[in-house]
Amino acid sequence: MLQTVQRTAKVKRKKGAPASVGEAAAGKATPPHERFLEAFRWMLLARTLEEKLVSLYRGGQITGGVYIGKGQEAVSVACGLFLEKGDIFAPLIRDQAGRSAFGEPLVDVTRTYLGSRLGPMRGRDGNIHRGHPRDNELAMISHLGAMVSVTVGTLMAKRFRGEKKFVGLTCIGEGGMQTGAFHEGMNIAAVEQVPLVVVATNNHYAYSTPNDREFASDDLVERAIGYGFEGYSLDGTDLAACLDVIGGAVKRARAGRPPQMVVASVLRLSGHGEHDDASYVPEEMKRQPFARDCLKVAGQMIIESNLLDPDTLAEWRKNAVAQVDDAIATAQKEAVPEGDKEDWCALSTRHLVDHVGEDE
Amino acid sequence: MPQVPIIMPQLGESIAEATIVDIKVKPGDEVVDDQEIIDVETNKAVMGVTTPCKGKIDKIAVQLKETYPVGAVLGYIEASEHDAARFTKHAVPPLPQKEVAEEIPARADQEVAPVREKKIAARDGDGDRAGDLPVPAITKGATFMSPRVRARMAELQLTTADLAGIMGTGAGNRVTIKDLESFLHKIENQTAHEASKIRAGVADAMRRSWTRPLSTIGSSVNLDPALQDRRSRDPKPGLGLYALRALALALAENPAAAAKFIGNRVVQSNSIDVGIAVEAEDGIMVPVIRGAEKASLADLTTKYKELIELARQRRISPDMQAGGLATVSNFGIFGMEWGTPIPLPDQTLLLGLGAGKKVPSWDETKNEFVPKTEAQITLSFDHRSVDGGGASRLLKRVIELLENPKQL
Amino acid sequence: MSLTYLEAIREAQAKLLRDDYRVFIYGQDVGGTFGGAFKATKGLATEFPGRVLNTPISEDAIVGTAIGAAMQGMRPIVEMQFADFSSIALNQILNNAGTHYWRTGVPVPITVRLPSGGTKGSGPFHSQSMESLYAHYPGLIVMTPATVEDAYTMLIEAVAIDDPVVYCEHKYLYYHLKADKLPDKGLPTGRARIAREGRDLTIVSYSAMTQESLAAAEELAREGLDVEVVDLRTVKPLDTDTVLASVARTGRLLCVGESFPWGGTTAEVIARVTSQGFYLLDAAPQRLNAKDTPIPYHPNLWSAHRPNAKNIVAKARALLRE
Repeated sequence: MLQTVQRTAKVKRKKGAPASVGEAAAGKATPPHERFLEAFRWMLLARTLEEKLVSLYRGGQITGGVYIGKGQEAVSVACGLFLEKGDIFAPLIRDQAGRSAFGEPLVDVTRTYLGSRLGPMRGRDGNIHRGHPRDNELAMISHLGAMVSVTVGTLMAKRFRGEKKFVGLTCIGEGGMQTGAFHEGMNIAAVEQVPLVVVATNNHYAYSTPNDREFASDDLVERAIGYGFEGYSLDGTDLAACLDVIGGAVKRARAGRPPQMVVASVLRLSGHGEHDDASYVPEEMKRQPFARDCLKVAGQMIIESNLLDPDTLAEWRKNAVAQVDDAIATAQKEAVPEGDKEDWCALSTRHLVDHVGEDE
Repeated sequence: MPQVPIIMPQLGESIAEATIVDIKVKPGDEVVDDQEIIDVETNKAVMGVTTPCKGKIDKIAVQLKETYPVGAVLGYIEASEHDAARFTKHAVPPLPQKEVAEEIPARADQEVAPVREKKIAARDGDGDRAGDLPVPAITKGATFMSPRVRARMAELQLTTADLAGIMGTGAGNRVTIKDLESFLHKIENQTAHEASKIRAGVADAMRRSWTRPLSTIGSSVNLDPALQDRRSRDPKPGLGLYALRALALALAENPAAAAKFIGNRVVQSNSIDVGIAVEAEDGIMVPVIRGAEKASLADLTTKYKELIELARQRRISPDMQAGGLATVSNFGIFGMEWGTPIPLPDQTLLLGLGAGKKVPSWDETKNEFVPKTEAQITLSFDHRSVDGGGASRLLKRVIELLENPKQL
Repeated sequence: MSLTYLEAIREAQAKLLRDDYRVFIYGQDVGGTFGGAFKATKGLATEFPGRVLNTPISEDAIVGTAIGAAMQGMRPIVEMQFADFSSIALNQILNNAGTHYWRTGVPVPITVRLPSGGTKGSGPFHSQSMESLYAHYPGLIVMTPATVEDAYTMLIEAVAIDDPVVYCEHKYLYYHLKADKLPDKGLPTGRARIAREGRDLTIVSYSAMTQESLAAAEELAREGLDVEVVDLRTVKPLDTDTVLASVARTGRLLCVGESFPWGGTTAEVIARVTSQGFYLLDAAPQRLNAKDTPIPYHPNLWSAHRPNAKNIVAKARALLRE
C-alpha cells in the first residue's frame, strides 16, 4: 500500500545547469533551480532581520526569548515558497525565511518582539508563537509536536468543504519529533490520508542535547515508513536541493500522494535561544559538512556562477537592511499594551465569561 | 504498686483553672491522707490541693507559676492496692496535650467555653512576626452571632441587649437568623412608635453603662444641719448642690475611689469633675463642673443658675457633659426615698439623694426619740474600680460632710 | 415514549449532524455499526456517512485535529471514551484550544464530550470527574448536565458556542435517568437551575450529585426540614448570582461535588459566597466531596468514597443544627 522510502534524494538538476558550483559557464548561468534567486532573497531578508533582532536583544530592547533560524534558512524558505493561497503553513521556531516567503509581513515580527500593541498577538504571547490563523499561518504553542495534528485538522476541514488541490506543511526539529504528540499527529495524518508535508530539520542539537541522546534510529527518515508517509532525506545546506526536494514533496502531496516527510540535515548555527551561548557544541561538529552556512554557500554559488552581478547583490543586501530597519522603526514608535486597558477576556462569547467577583 | 493521680480540684463555681504557687513535696516523700501538698492561686484566693490518699509521691507533673485547668493531673501517688481501688472509678484521665487547630468537638461536649486563649505555635523558622492574635478555641455557643445575624442587627441598629428576650434555637442556644426574624415579626404585631432622639440616646448610654458590674450601697443622712445652713444663705442652694459639694470634697481627699478600670489598668484623674443633673425642656442634661472641690457652695449656686439658663436655651453641649468622674442625682425631688441609679457610662460613681422625711430618731443623750429629717443617700459604683468597703468609706465621708455643713 | 440521558445525547448529536453541515463526530469506536463504547453514536455513522469517524487511540491528536478543523470553520464533537483519558489531551485542550482566542483573536469552536463520574466497579481510571481541572484553566466553558433535558439542550448549545466546550456527561445517569420528552429549549447556558425550592438550607450541586442531593432533600423533608437544591448546570461560567440569591433566602450553604476535595467546584462556590455574601451566612458554609484518594474499584469502597444521599443528609442535618 505504501511507497518505499527514498533514502537519499537525488538533487534534480535543471537541464543545462552546472554539475557543480565550480563549473560556471562564462556569462550569466542558469540557476540550479528556477526559484533559486527568489529563495535566496528571502533568506537574505531573514538573516538580516534576525541579526538585527539579536543585536536588539543584546542591547536590552527585547524582553523574553529570541529564537533565530541561522543555518536553516534554506530549508525554511523552501517550506514557505511553494505554498499557494489556500494552503496551510504551520511554522515552528526557526522558520523566519519560510514565514516571509509565505507572506508574513516583516512588521509582524518586529511588533511581536518589540512589544507593540498592534502586533498579531497584542502582547498576549511573544516571539515565535505568532501566527495569522485566518490567513492560514498557524500560531504554534510551545509544546512541540502539537501542531502536526492541528494541521491535519485544517486539511480535513478543507476536504469536508470540497476543496481540492490544497496542501498543508508543518515544520519540526529532531527533538520535537520525539514527543508523543508528534507521533500521534503523524499517525493520524496518514490514517486520515491528508495532503500533509512534514519537514523535519535535524540541526543536531535540541537545546543542549545531541542526537545520540535524542533518538536511536540510524536515520530519522526511516520512520516515514512506520507512519505511512513517503520519506526523503535532504542536505539542508544546499539551497537548490531544498527547493527540489521540498518543492517536490509539496507537489506530490498536492497530487494526492500519501503524506510526505522530509528530513533535512544542518547544524544549528546559533544558541537554542539568544540567551544560550551553545558552548556545548564541540569544535569538530562545526567542521562537519552539514555545518556549512547555507546562506554563505548560496551566496558563493551566486557569485561563482555569476547568477547575479556583485552590484545587484550589494543592492539586495542594502535593500534587506532598509526593509528591516523600517519594520523596526515602525514597531518602536507604536504604543505598548497596558494592563489596565486590557479586557482580560479569554472567551469570544462575552456573555459566557465567568465572573469570579474578586477583581470586579 | 498502683498509681493514684492527684487531680486539680474544682476550686469554686466558675473557676476553670489555677496557677501553681507552691509545691511542698518531691518524689519519694511519704504523705498521709488529706495532706496539703500543692498551693494553687485562683483569681479569688490561694488554696491548698490535698492528697487523695496516703502513700509515696511518685511524680509531680506540674511546674511552679504554670496554670492548669480544673481536672488536670498534677502528679501521682504510689498507693496501696486497697487505697488505689477507691479511685479507679473516679480517676480522670489526663487531658491530652493537643496541638493547635484541633477539631471542633461534638456538640454534646460543649458546655463551657475554655477559659484560656490558645496561640498557634510558631513553626521553626517563622522568624519575627508582627502580630500575635489570640486564636479562639471555640466558634460556637450561646453568644455566637453569625455574620448574617450581625448584619441584620447592624441594619436595624439592634444591640445584644435588644436580643435579651430571644430564646435561641441554634447550637448552644445561640440566636439564629430565623430566631431573630421571628422575634422581629412578633414585634411588628405590637404597637410601636419611633423612639425620640433623647430616648434613644439615654437607651444607648444606659446600655453601655450596664456592661459593667454596678453595685449600690446606701445609708441614711440627717438633713437638718444642711436645711438649717440653707436658711442663712441667699441665694439658697438646693440639697443636690450640698451633696455635690460634699462629694467633691470627699473625692478630693480620696480620688482613688473614682478611678476607672480599663483593660487591666486603673486610670485616675486629677481633676475632680462632678456632674449635676439639670432639667431641660426635652430631657435631663448632666453638665460637669470641673474642679468641683474648688468651688464654694456659693459658687456652685451661681454656676447652677447659669446652667439652668443654658439648659433652657439648649446650649449645653456634649463637651460640657463629658469627662466627669461622678454625678449627683437628687431624685428625692420626685418623692423617691431610695434608688439604685446607674452611673453614666463614662463615669464610675453616682450619688443619689432621696426625699427627706420626718422620722423619729433615738437620741442617746436625751434618752428619747426626737424628730429628724432623714433621707436615704445611695452611692452606685463600678465594682471593678472600687469594692464595697471603698465605696462605703466614700459615702460615709459624704454623709459626714453633709451633716456638718460648716465644713462644706 | 421515554428517553434516557444517553439517548438524549444521541438525539442531540443526530439533530446537530442533520442541521449543521459543519458538525462531525471524532473519537474512538464512535463509527461503524458499533456506535461508541456507550452507544452514544449508535446508528449515526450509517445515517450520516463520512461524518462520524473512528480515530486511533491518540487523544492528543484527536483533539489537535479537532482544533485545526474548528479553526477552518468546522464544528467538531470529540468523544473521549472516558473522561479519565482526556488527561492525554490536556495539552491540546488547555494550552492550545483554551489559549487560542486570547492569543490570536480566533476562537476554536470544539466540543469535547467526557463520559464522567463513577459507576460500580469502574475503578480509578474509568470514574473520574474532571470538571474542576478544566474549569481552572482560562478560555474554556465546562458543562455538567444533571437531567435528560439538559443533556439534550446543552449539547446542542455547546456546539453552537464559538469557544471550546468541555461537556461532562455522567455515566451513571446514562441509563438511570429518563424523561418523557425532549424540550426545544432549555435555560440559557451559564444559568443555574433551582431544582427544588426550599427555605432552611441551600445545597449547591451539579451532575449526578444533583440527583443525590434531591434524594437527600426528600429524606430531610420527612423531618420537616426544607432544603433548596441548586443545580449549577455549567461549572464554568458559574452562576454566582443564583447561588447568592438562594443563600440569601436560606442563610445556610452546603456544596456537594463528586470530584476530589482539594480545590474544585465546591471550594469555588464557597469562596465566592464567603467573599461576596459573607453577611448572608447564618452558619459556616460546608462542602462534601469524594475522598482525597484515587477512586476505588470495589463497590463497597466506591460507595464509601463518594458523596451519596445518605451522607448528604447527615451533613445537611448537622449544618441545620448549627
